Amino acid sequence: MLPVIWQGIVTGCLYSLGALGLVMIFKSSKMVNFAHGALAGYGAFSVHALTAGGAGWPWLAAVAAALLGAIAISVLVYGLIAELLQRAATTATIATLGIGLIAQGMILWQYGSNIFRLDLPLPHLSFSILGMALTAYDVAVLSATFLVVVALFLVIERTRLGVAFRAVSTDPFAARVCGLSISRVHLFSWVTSSMLGVIAALLIVPTTFLSSTTVTTFMLQAFAAAVIGGFDSLPGSAIGGILVGVSCNLFSFYVAPELLNTFLLTFMLASLSFFPGGILSQRLGSRV
Amino acid sequence: MSEPSTTALPADRTRRSAVRIDDRMLSIGTVLLLGLLPIWIGSFWLYSISLLLAQGIAILSVSFLIRYSGEVSIGHNFFVATGAYTIALLQNGPNVPFLGGVVVATAVSAAVGLLFAWPSRTLSGVYLSVVTLALGLCVPEVLLYWSEVTGGFEGLFVESRIVGGVASGLQQYYVALAALCIATFVAHRFRGSRLGLMILTARDHPHAAAAFGMTSGSARLSAFAVSAAIAGFGGSILGFTTSMVSPNSFIFWNSVTLLVGAVVSLYSTRIYGVVVGAAFVTLVPQLLSNYGQFILIIYGLALLGVIIVFNVTVPAIVRRVRRRRNHRV
Repeated sequence: MLPVIWQGIVTGCLYSLGALGLVMIFKSSKMVNFAHGALAGYGAFSVHALTAGGAGWPWLAAVAAALLGAIAISVLVYGLIAELLQRAATTATIATLGIGLIAQGMILWQYGSNIFRLDLPLPHLSFSILGMALTAYDVAVLSATFLVVVALFLVIERTRLGVAFRAVSTDPFAARVCGLSISRVHLFSWVTSSMLGVIAALLIVPTTFLSSTTVTTFMLQAFAAAVIGGFDSLPGSAIGGILVGVSCNLFSFYVAPELLNTFLLTFMLASLSFFPGGILSQRLGSRV
Repeated sequence: MSEPSTTALPADRTRRSAVRIDDRMLSIGTVLLLGLLPIWIGSFWLYSISLLLAQGIAILSVSFLIRYSGEVSIGHNFFVATGAYTIALLQNGPNVPFLGGVVVATAVSAAVGLLFAWPSRTLSGVYLSVVTLALGLCVPEVLLYWSEVTGGFEGLFVESRIVGGVASGLQQYYVALAALCIATFVAHRFRGSRLGLMILTARDHPHAAAAFGMTSGSARLSAFAVSAAIAGFGGSILGFTTSMVSPNSFIFWNSVTLLVGAVVSLYSTRIYGVVVGAAFVTLVPQLLSNYGQFILIIYGLALLGVIIVFNVTVPAIVRRVRRRRNHRV
């Protein structure tokens, strides 16, 4: 049982990374980005195309290029959506679904429905602690998650942009009255979110393979993590990711792996019934 | 489109009446045209258009939800499947007649919709939208897991004749057309009903509505249940027109299709709007069957394009025209 939980924690970290991106966008612009998975998948595919898939770049350069590309795309996406956001979050949400479809279609068009392998450039190490095999991959995932979360925390807590982000997410109107540029904060959250998405995608792909749907299906767990942790809480979604990772692993190991989506659905509905607004939310007044 | 013309406040009568006659004429014209269509078309197109009409009901349910509660659902294939499988199971087990099956399927879908939306009644609508994603994804795996009930991959057979002596293709077509007329009529008249007015009041003036006992949570629950009922109704008709139900017709992709149709129809509850939306999502894949990967891109562009044109471009043009006119005066 212990190895199953441990593997759950490792993949849960990646769900947290995905969920953090979704929550960043939700906190600033009050909308859900359904294109998150498809765009992150596009990033993973471009890393593959730049390294093993032909161009033969060094891995780090390819990742840097993919991150830059993700930033450019997220700026473009935000530019398309910005005006919709001022009217209704619903229409902006539907627009992100459209963008997700386009990204998915572009992946299919450029790379077909083939399956690729995309490994991290890691040495084949594995040590054994308490009867559990600890591989270099696990260490890489844990340390990458740790670094990203710490960096995100520092940016949000210590920089002027982070203060502005918190102000906008608490009260957009008051923030605008104080002279903060809303669209700059939105851009910050969209850019950060897209980078988090690409990092999560690159880390999740080695566990399975890279196909046009891998990353999008992976993002369902990220959505579940965000729902369980609360869409307006960054630490909540980080914990939610690990909870989802562990419980999914336990469920598919002991009960039925073919019912995983159904399990996630019931898990989300149960969590909404017992912890409306997320596991970390204090129940302060109404949230209508 | 971002501000649907449905509001709880009484409309400006003088301006509306002219428009209303126009709308009604268009609706009647569409129904007449669809009613006479079987004279000219062959059996392949008859079947395709029957499917299109049944699909239209499901599209209407998504439009209805967006219109009345402002929620996006990408899990409505679940309710369509609920309706379709309910009628199939009722026919294969206790041998319930078609009409009875439709009524039960609609009621079951409404109940399931209510049950599903229940946990999110006090939360912001975001949670509901996200959970519909999981709802949409879980349909095929549930159907395949309990395959001794649902018939597994092969699915179940649905009787496609109600009266003897008439070709089943024609029966399927006219039943689908009649069902679409009923669904659009109900969805359209819903606006003036007691429940409809309360839901709209809860959307426009939450505090006033809450004072009358309709909180935004219960408004969302009601809108979701009605929408699920329409989807289940459409599902039972879809089962009838395809004469079988199988997991393949209720995958997540179908929800995306429904949403694209709803957006292309501009969330219309009128029959001509619904038919346009349904025609887009059924004809594009048929015409582009050799270019599968482009369908995704075309759907995405349709979603994005329609939304941006009707929320950004059109208002901008209206504003400019208005400004110019004021200038001249």
